[in-house]
Amino acid sequence: MLDETKTGLDTVEGGPQLSGKSTDSSGGKMDDPDGHPSVIALLSQFGDAVSGHRVFAGTQHVVWIDSACNLEILRWLREQQDHQYDMISDITAVDYGAGRPIEVVYQLFSTVYKRALRVRCKLPLDGLEIDSIVELWSAANWLEREVYDLFGVTFRKHPDLRRILMPHDYEEGHPLRKDFPLRGRFSRAEQTRRALDQSVEHSYIAEEMDLGRDPQQATPIIGTKDGDE
Amino acid sequence: MSKRTVEFNVGRNPEMGIDGSVVDSPILPFDIPEPDLDTENMLINIGPQHPATHGVLRLVCELDGETVKRVIPHIGYLHSSFEKLGEYRTWNQVVPLTDRMDYLAPLIYNCAYVMTVEKLMGIEVTERCKVVRVICMEMDRIFSHLLWLGTTAIDVGAFTPFLYAFQERERIYQLHEAFTGARITTSATRVGGMMADLPEGWTDGLQDFLDTFPDTLEEIDRLLTRNQIHIGRSQGIGAISAEDAINSGFTGANLRACGVDYDVRKDQPYYDYETYDFEIPVGQHGDCYDRYLCRMEEMRQSVSLLRQALERLPGGPIDVEDPNISLPSKTDCMSDMESMIHHFKLITDGIPAPEGDCYMPIEGSKGELGMYIVAEEGGTKPVRWRIRPPSLVNLSVLPKLAEEHLVSDLIMINASLDIVLGEIDR
Amino acid sequence: MEEGGARMGLKDALPGGGTSSVTGGMFGDGSPTFLTSKIDWIINWSRRNSLWPMPFGTACCAIEMMASAASNYDLARFGMERMSFSPRQADVLICAGRVPYKLAPVLRRIWDQMPQPKWCVSMGACASSGGVFDVYSMVQGIDTIIPVDVYVPGCPPRPEGLIYGLMMIQEKIREESLSRHFEHRAEDPSSVARPHANDAQVIGLTGPFGNSTQQEELSNKEPGTRGELPEELLP
Ligand code: SF4
Repeated sequence: MLDETKTGLDTVEGGPQLSGKSTDSSGGKMDDPDGHPSVIALLSQFGDAVSGHRVFAGTQHVVWIDSACNLEILRWLREQQDHQYDMISDITAVDYGAGRPIEVVYQLFSTVYKRALRVRCKLPLDGLEIDSIVELWSAANWLEREVYDLFGVTFRKHPDLRRILMPHDYEEGHPLRKDFPLRGRFSRAEQTRRALDQSVEHSYIAEEMDLGRDPQQATPIIGTKDGDE
Repeated sequence: MSKRTVEFNVGRNPEMGIDGSVVDSPILPFDIPEPDLDTENMLINIGPQHPATHGVLRLVCELDGETVKRVIPHIGYLHSSFEKLGEYRTWNQVVPLTDRMDYLAPLIYNCAYVMTVEKLMGIEVTERCKVVRVICMEMDRIFSHLLWLGTTAIDVGAFTPFLYAFQERERIYQLHEAFTGARITTSATRVGGMMADLPEGWTDGLQDFLDTFPDTLEEIDRLLTRNQIHIGRSQGIGAISAEDAINSGFTGANLRACGVDYDVRKDQPYYDYETYDFEIPVGQHGDCYDRYLCRMEEMRQSVSLLRQALERLPGGPIDVEDPNISLPSKTDCMSDMESMIHHFKLITDGIPAPEGDCYMPIEGSKGELGMYIVAEEGGTKPVRWRIRPPSLVNLSVLPKLAEEHLVSDLIMINASLDIVLGEIDR
Repeated sequence: MEEGGARMGLKDALPGGGTSSVTGGMFGDGSPTFLTSKIDWIINWSRRNSLWPMPFGTACCAIEMMASAASNYDLARFGMERMSFSPRQADVLICAGRVPYKLAPVLRRIWDQMPQPKWCVSMGACASSGGVFDVYSMVQGIDTIIPVDVYVPGCPPRPEGLIYGLMMIQEKIREESLSRHFEHRAEDPSSVARPHANDAQVIGLTGPFGNSTQQEELSNKEPGTRGELPEELLP
């Protein structure tokens, strides 16, 4: 449904400024890995899979790895005696817009060596799939669900992948993508109507308890329905 | 026919007996024979509008009698899309959003955000600013813990600590108001400094607070720490081992209650926290009672930190002296054309950032609070602004903690995690 | 209070001592009878001094609501001692904080569950208009979902602000009359679980400056008019 005032409003605001200058967030560059033992070890161990390394803000080391072997590399980082990144602080994603790949970001910390490392994986827009790391850290469960909800990245073998913040039958898409308008795709009137059309009882069903027990069976009940596809 | 023994062991604290003896006897030792009936698990729903969920959290529980077999938390009932909104704002315009996220400790969020932006841009704030921010953060740690204390006490049936806690909170409200003009939504920080310097006499007000607050804290302590009801409802409830806690992402007092001495202020120090003299309280059992003890001790440590910070508060400017970052003074703007144009340019264009990303953890009142910012070369708005929400990760452990406990324990466990829904849902 | 309870009727019956306010009732030929106005007065007096609020607190404003209930501001002074956490026993819905679309059906359900007579206070910029959150997930003013009686401005409103808003509800009750009960309190059963505003109203309200120009339409007021309150009724 078209909303006249909405089109007027959308032109008013600037939106995220994207210069479009750099096409690659890592720039294909390799900064000097000195100063961070884990980066040196990563480069020697998984030379081909590490596609970039930069140092930002003075001390923050970022490594770009191949998205196909994220599970393998993260497990190695977690279990190697000299690294022991036993804590996953954060999992998130970044959309740079303009058709550039979405990047999944893992923020690791080792409580043993008091060392932090950021690992990023690029995912092309037509292949938004990556292995889930819930088997390594159970903290990843909700964080990955959130990335799935807001960016539409599918995590393979995640035990319970469904929307977490938005309503389970949300049909407008994945809100944090750059092509998603700030005020949503539908008009306000439509959004209000849809919101009240959700029956409160709808999410109070006994089948809910089957969720997460058996992912294969659970998916059809409550929402992996995608708005854009 | 199976048997179940109900017993409450209240005797972990050896000083507890009235006559000085060690109390270690079960209050209610008796056996309940379980009838041999066909039973079915029951599904109940708590929330999203329920006073015991501390906000709009919804818990779907599967119960066997009164025992919780399974909990599924549902969140997102307060999703206000801060992260998307931030992408449409310049660096300084994001600050007012940060305190609406965690309204229990607004200044900590203000500081965490600008700290990350400054780190990305390579700005070194002045000495005075550092100390003022430490004061702000420690004050709000007390502010947030007090609300947690009051509402948790209500959940276990004690109303008085709530009133005591709110009286003390009211004094911090006044300090907030004297400094920033607002009671909750402070928005006190700016990139490269603060919104304003501390007003005259403000430190005296804080000193006043520090003089009398420990007494009230002791009073609340007397009401709860050895209270049989409180102990019975929190000792041994919702315990988790240190290894599990790290693996599932616990941070803050929740993690320290399990015996892990991880505190961002010590492990990745910022704002010279390594030069302050303070201790990290660490628990042993990882249950609700230890979380309570850790938070109580943290408040005492915060008081001592505040005293130290007040002592070392240096003079000098509070904003960095860089015309590309700090605004000219208001008097200059009104009398001088160049300053006015400078002011206008800085407000409308914003501050350009270098390319890159930056993740900066700080010790928030709920746990490790991380801000993650991605910027484009010369961008005046974030490409991505992400908050690592400590409460979200802490809450995701709730199903594991509450299993095989009673429903009333579920409420206690949920309260002891110290969650704030504004930041979970963002 | 200022009428002095039982003496109020006497004042009407005994002219003298300055101006008499008798214009109708059983002594004249006007419409409102003596008896009705008396019952009105008692009912309104008891209603407005024992309002039970249903706190629907979601975000930052809820903290200020808690502060107004706690020791310093003490909402109980106004007859609101008992916060009613169940909608079935509540009179005033205090909606404090942001309401996303995901929560909208819950809010509507709670409003539908409250028995008449009932009133609603929308506390804070977010509840009244969406505030700074003009985004995909937020309801732009709860008056699109449920009828609102008093809007309390602020982000967050101070406890004094909330108390003033509740006193305005009390003023509103003072003006009610049993003879107009059905007019005031009629509820269409088919409106249950439906939005309060129709599509055109929602679009008007969420457009530029919609909340400042069109809000009165939804609160059943002619645009631009203010009910004139006699001097002694002003809070
Ligand atoms: S009006 Fe302000 S204080 Fe109230 S909920 Fe909205 S953002 Fe929070």
